[in-house]
Amino acid sequence: MNAVGWGLVSAVVVALAATVAALAVPRRHRPAVTGVGVVAAGLLGTVAGVVATTGTTWSVARPDLLPLIGLELDVDSLSGVFLAVGGVVAIAAGTYAIGAARHGLDGPGVQAALPAFVASLLLVPAAGSVGTLLYCWELMALTSLVLVVAEHRERPAVASAGLWYAVMTHAGFVAIMVGLLVAAGAAGDGSFAAIRAAASGLSPAAASPAFLACLAGFGSKAGMVPLHPWLPRAHPEAPSHVSALMSAAMVNLGVYGIVRVGVDLLGGGPSWWWVTVLVLGAVSAVYGILQAAVGSDLKRLLGYSTTENMGLVLVGVGACGMFAAAGSRALAGLALTAALLHVMTHAAFKTVLFLSAGSVLHATGTRDLDALGGLRSRMPVTTAAFGVGALAASALPPGAAFVSEWLLLQALIHGLPAPGVVPAVVLPLGVAAIALTAGLAVATFVKAFGIGFLGRPRGAGAAAAAESGPAALTAMVLAGLACVAAAVCPTLVLPTLAEVAGGVVHAVPAVSGTVAIELVGVSGVLSPVLLVVTLIAAAAAVVGALRLLARRRDRRRARLWDCGAGPLSARMEYTATSFAEPLQRVFDDVLAPEQDVDVSHHEESRYLVAAVSYRRELPDRVERRLYTPLLDAATAWGRAGRGLATGSVHRYLGYGFVTLCGLLAWLVVTR
Amino acid sequence: MEPVVMSPPAAALLDVAAGALLLTAVLVVWRRDLPTILRIFTAHGLALGALVGVLAWAQRSVELGLVTIGVLAVRGGLLPWLLRRALAGAGPARREVRPVVNVTASLLAVAALVLLAFSVSVPLVELGESPATRAVPVAVAVVLIGLLVLVTRRHTISQLVGFLLVDNGITAAGFLTTSGIGLVVEVGVALDVLLAVLVLQVLAGRIRDTFGDVDLGELRELRDR
Repeated sequence: MNAVGWGLVSAVVVALAATVAALAVPRRHRPAVTGVGVVAAGLLGTVAGVVATTGTTWSVARPDLLPLIGLELDVDSLSGVFLAVGGVVAIAAGTYAIGAARHGLDGPGVQAALPAFVASLLLVPAAGSVGTLLYCWELMALTSLVLVVAEHRERPAVASAGLWYAVMTHAGFVAIMVGLLVAAGAAGDGSFAAIRAAASGLSPAAASPAFLACLAGFGSKAGMVPLHPWLPRAHPEAPSHVSALMSAAMVNLGVYGIVRVGVDLLGGGPSWWWVTVLVLGAVSAVYGILQAAVGSDLKRLLGYSTTENMGLVLVGVGACGMFAAAGSRALAGLALTAALLHVMTHAAFKTVLFLSAGSVLHATGTRDLDALGGLRSRMPVTTAAFGVGALAASALPPGAAFVSEWLLLQALIHGLPAPGVVPAVVLPLGVAAIALTAGLAVATFVKAFGIGFLGRPRGAGAAAAAESGPAALTAMVLAGLACVAAAVCPTLVLPTLAEVAGGVVHAVPAVSGTVAIELVGVSGVLSPVLLVVTLIAAAAAVVGALRLLARRRDRRRARLWDCGAGPLSARMEYTATSFAEPLQRVFDDVLAPEQDVDVSHHEESRYLVAAVSYRRELPDRVERRLYTPLLDAATAWGRAGRGLATGSVHRYLGYGFVTLCGLLAWLVVTR
Repeated sequence: MEPVVMSPPAAALLDVAAGALLLTAVLVVWRRDLPTILRIFTAHGLALGALVGVLAWAQRSVELGLVTIGVLAVRGGLLPWLLRRALAGAGPARREVRPVVNVTASLLAVAALVLLAFSVSVPLVELGESPATRAVPVAVAVVLIGLLVLVTRRHTISQLVGFLLVDNGITAAGFLTTSGIGLVVEVGVALDVLLAVLVLQVLAGRIRDTFGDVDLGELRELRDR
């Protein structure tokens, strides 16, 4: 057993030991025990993942370990990337979880589920057979479901979110199972190696349904529109470190599944598979960030942002498959490198954002941006951490997401001369979608940070906020440092990622360079370090010059101009809703907001207004158009079924009797 | 499994026993008077015992002979006695007043079911042609008739008789096809049936205490609204 094997096995053993310990130790020590267990498992998983990305592979087959299916693990460099990302997120989330006892989350079930969830997150990318993958996938679904419904006693919305999550994740599981079983059935064996070997002989009539079923299942886990409605429900309602794990680590595994099955196991497939992925990714990106831009619930906003970022990753994956199908291996490698880098950067900034959102939620008791504000002086570390995360998420040059989106754009733009009508239409639209997404992301995170943390407190909770405990702060600082590292020196990991991506699509690494990112095969150079240094120097120069100028002038202290309307109050501030109002107007046709202004007058005079009530709702349109009819039909079907159950015992017996006689008669006739 | 070689008199006796089994099952459907039904049911149990006894004689099997005694005791003695006791405790109603399907229609249905049983058992008989397997359709027919009684009768005791007809049919099919299932299996099944009857008897008593009647139609209210 090599370093990868030791790291992975010990990570899983530590996590499972923490699960058992959580059930055994007294309540007061429980969060510390599970938190430390999760951190240790995360560290070991990270080590295993990092070693695996350098090309060390490890596989094991133990038919006796899982009943019926056997355990087969097979770690290669692609698994290593997702292992490492999951491990790093687990370190931060585990650190945060040590302090989660303050949040009233020290029940045995919830605490035991957390390490088990982390173990499943590490095992899914390591699975080496269909059976093992499905087993670990289901373990991941169940443990995360337990964690999502952890606070069901506090808020009724949690139960509804849990129901959505449970149903959609299991529907996705069924889709994945069907897809993988079709592929495994054609190969005659469930191991990935066998499927890979048999893929070239697989008929398109079997391969395409298998891929589409897997795309639906894995895409749903990644929050792909239109299979996303569970995501903006479950992520906000889960405890915040769980949200971080789900949003930064779990959703990645959806992408992993699509790459593993589509590119690796089924060997690429026809171009239209990947055009579908690309288009769905682009739609997810735009739709997700649009919903985030107009939302005012902090954690729901972050959940929609996850849909957006996974959409961008899927654009990369789709472009990769499309280029590979067209034969341009170098571009395929570049697109997949961009996708993998975006997975990493997204994990970094989404962890810090969710953890600091959790810190805010704990301190103020609300997730509503319209009731927040003024946290800068009361919660300086949380504010700084959220600021770093927001910068990273907004795809502006000093942020982390800028590099990956730049790479993605490079891949799409260099692919433009590709032959065929479909690429000529899809690629420019993809570029436009990424650009629109980047712009909306800036607006979204300016809103989230500016309204949520700056200005004056808009509510009593925000006014009385206090900084979180040391564990939460450590976790946020760790995740924040990861964001900064991803922004300043992505070149540390990029050549490795390029090698991984090159290995998957059988191409030379698409990126090289230690200080500057140099694209191989196409022209393009970017140096994130120099960019950051230049930007900081320029900003310092501007600020210094302004200070210098200001000092030369005479200054007079005076009260801030308030139009003579009395002292400025928090009610005169921008709110999240008002900040997003122009955007909402622009995208009115897409969002279809429901607004209601109700003016009531005094009884004495119709000219005097007694009260004005304003109500605005932004329903998820995809959900309303697609899922509401579906749910209504299911309910109607259920009601119709009730007509069969009249309560008459004879009728119930008769159903069985008639069915039996019918079957026997059928047997007689057909035989 | 070797087909059992049977002497002509044994084969004739087996046919008579099987005929009695089917005839008594049909009579249960025809009659509406509950004490009469119970008497017919006793005859049915005895016919089953005779069937097993003929098989035991034909195969010269001591073990099967012991089973015959057990079958006669349980199906021809204990179960009818339990049913009579349940009927005595079930209140004044002594007739199956209004079955779900009237008797004439039931008898027509029985004819159809017997035809179905005979046609569906053809492949079973073809597996190993012998006097015993040729009687398998009768056992299947008894199962179907038992189900019909379960579906169409309202009185709890009639329901019990239907359930026991199904069980007798399954037992007969078992003996006819396998030339003797294990003693342990037979004893186990007999105990299961006994337990089911006891439970149903208690249930019938409870229904009567609660609703003042043993008509299963009274349970109609117990459903999901």
